[in-house]
Amino acid sequence: MSGITLSDWDRHYIELKEAGLKEPWYGGPLRRHVEDGDLRLLKLRYDDSAAALRLWNFLLTEEDRLREARSNGKKLVGVMKDLGTVPVMAYSLPNVVAFYPDGAWWTPCIMEMSEGLFGLAASYGLDESFCPVRAMLGAFVTEAHFPIPDMLTCSVGATCDDFSSIAQRVEGLGYPINWWEMPARRKPGPNEKVIRLPGGFYATVDQVAFVKSELERVKTALEELSGYKLSDDMLKDGIRAANKARKTLSELRLAVFTAKSSPIPALEMQIAEMFAIHFCSDREETAAVLQDMLAEAQKRISSGIGILPEDSVRIFWVNPVADLRAMNVLEDCGGRICGADYLFAHALDEIPEDLHPMEALARMALADPMVGSSHDRAERIMRDIEAFGSEAVLISKIPGASHCATEGAVIGRAVKAELNLPVVEIEVPPLTDSMQPTIMTRIEALIETAREWRK
Amino acid sequence: MKIIYSCPFIPAEWIAAHGLLPSRISAGSSTLKLGPGVCPYACSFAGAAIEEKTAAGVIVTTACDQMRRIYDVITENTDLSAFLMHVPHTWQTVEAQRLYISELKRLGDFLIELGGNTPTPDILRQTMIEYNDNRAALRDLQGSLSPRDWALRLSEFNRTGKFDQAIQDTKYTPSGVPVALVGGPIPANQCDIYDFIESAGGYVSLDATETGERTLPAPFDRRLLKENPVSALIDSYFNTIYDAFRRPNNELFKWLKLKLTERGVRGIILRRYLWCDNWNAEAYRLKEWSGLPFTQIDANDDGTVDVRTSSRIQAFMESIK
Repeated sequence: MSGITLSDWDRHYIELKEAGLKEPWYGGPLRRHVEDGDLRLLKLRYDDSAAALRLWNFLLTEEDRLREARSNGKKLVGVMKDLGTVPVMAYSLPNVVAFYPDGAWWTPCIMEMSEGLFGLAASYGLDESFCPVRAMLGAFVTEAHFPIPDMLTCSVGATCDDFSSIAQRVEGLGYPINWWEMPARRKPGPNEKVIRLPGGFYATVDQVAFVKSELERVKTALEELSGYKLSDDMLKDGIRAANKARKTLSELRLAVFTAKSSPIPALEMQIAEMFAIHFCSDREETAAVLQDMLAEAQKRISSGIGILPEDSVRIFWVNPVADLRAMNVLEDCGGRICGADYLFAHALDEIPEDLHPMEALARMALADPMVGSSHDRAERIMRDIEAFGSEAVLISKIPGASHCATEGAVIGRAVKAELNLPVVEIEVPPLTDSMQPTIMTRIEALIETAREWRK
Repeated sequence: MKIIYSCPFIPAEWIAAHGLLPSRISAGSSTLKLGPGVCPYACSFAGAAIEEKTAAGVIVTTACDQMRRIYDVITENTDLSAFLMHVPHTWQTVEAQRLYISELKRLGDFLIELGGNTPTPDILRQTMIEYNDNRAALRDLQGSLSPRDWALRLSEFNRTGKFDQAIQDTKYTPSGVPVALVGGPIPANQCDIYDFIESAGGYVSLDATETGERTLPAPFDRRLLKENPVSALIDSYFNTIYDAFRRPNNELFKWLKLKLTERGVRGIILRRYLWCDNWNAEAYRLKEWSGLPFTQIDANDDGTVDVRTSSRIQAFMESIK
């Protein structure tokens, strides 16, 4: 087993402090988060670097940051579903902080269901047939897991029904939502002008113009909330700052996924990728946290240090997991992450800086792998698999999610047909403990098959 | 040449004016098997499209994510020409309406590729008048036929553009408790549900399912029809069909409030498909909002009213009599 336990971290933290560890204001031992109710931390295994400690502390103190921002007079915007676009606009304004209420989907996992959000959602009629993001409704009801935003935005159209339906119910609770339309990205007709999007997809000029006009509406709403005019120059600065984090993340991914031996665990890598979508409520600190992670990865690579055996099977992981522990399990089974599509691949691509900023954001929004067909998504996954040298694909289904009902089979068939790689689907519930033997069996089967295919 | 589709936001007149036969189907069952989590209706529609032998094309829309993704399944499994039309979920902006118009134009290009003709305004206007008149006739029939018979006539009209306009010798006289049937589509082979509600002591006085009156577009604005038929078409289809997937979906509730009062509805039955998030999410809200007795039943894709459903309906009707 790789990584250290929380108990190990208790001792290791003291050692690091004694050795002179300097931490940002949100630093401290990880154990304190357990005392706040984050019980899942007791069952995870972690990277033992100071960089990873900073990453975890940054993640687990987001609510504190949001409340502090509010007390400092900043406006809070709850951006929903678009995963990476609207926050770039919001953070370009001096007095706005954006976050994803969607993130509450991890709360039942992190708090091991002790918070009762699923029960609350069920009492409002949202049962297990909805994806775990139903926890968001419970969080709006309790007002306990994030401060209620001053404004809400939500992209709809070519998005999953679970989220759209749950967001509609949130609005029904009395929280008005600025809905904006995301059209389904499609193949252009023979006479249509086409634009290449970040990440390699294509969209028509008309679709980009439409999304731009929708984002203009969101921009106007943000300006009204903040009292500031969001000029092109401010937005360009915001895009540059977002790209700074994205570039670092891109370097980190490339370094980790292509290293001979994995220098950073899958769990910390998934968290690092999540920061790209809204900077965990602090854009500048996100860039610094990611820089630390990159430095740690580069140091280990140059020293020949790996955290897993060199022959670990290189897995491409599709979709985020509701239970973070699944990432530990993969490594226990002999795998390592070499490529991932956690639903927001478009938030990892650099936003074009040589375009009008709203045009650039519209292109980025349309590059979302989830707004196109599953075949499109499979194409991008296959490009990444070739870039990172993945040997097998693990598709992790999100329980109840509308897109997971059919997309896994489409992606799986494409990968098998085009790349001749083994593919397995697993379903990861918010707490995997009772299902761990089944999940492990399926992952082990995938790993064994990939090893056989090496021969 | 027939074009099959299921979504009520696709104007039949638009297809017909291109010289093709619109056939809005409600697929009842299929041999196609997809994995767990797939909406049974979406699966049946995919199966119907894949098994289709006589159609020139199939249209799928983005009204729900399951259907949007079923388009991928259809295109993987059949050579039938397929078209994915984006139906905007938002509706309050001019941009959303423009997007709908541009999608209709793109649909027109698809229909022409399949052998259709570009409709002149006169042809479109004439086609719209015919459909408008037929819908008016259908509405007139509503009180004269049993809810099941009316649903079947509407289904026939959606599928073929025609329907039997004859009235039965004995005019239908509703008896029992008036209820609203709400939810997704009810395929023709599953219309036993209407009879079953009657046998349990009620009758469907408001058919707010996707295959019922809820998705009949309002009569065209005569002035607009004369001046600009496309605008009249958009006005009726985009602005007067109310559905759970629209954002926000408060217009659905406004329409329901009006109709529930108008029809003297005393109870609501939500017929839902497993994995249909759009309707399942609204169940609780419907119950709380309406203040009426409420029950929900699961759609059974083999066309029968199973024991669980029949018991539930019987108990519900007994409780509100």
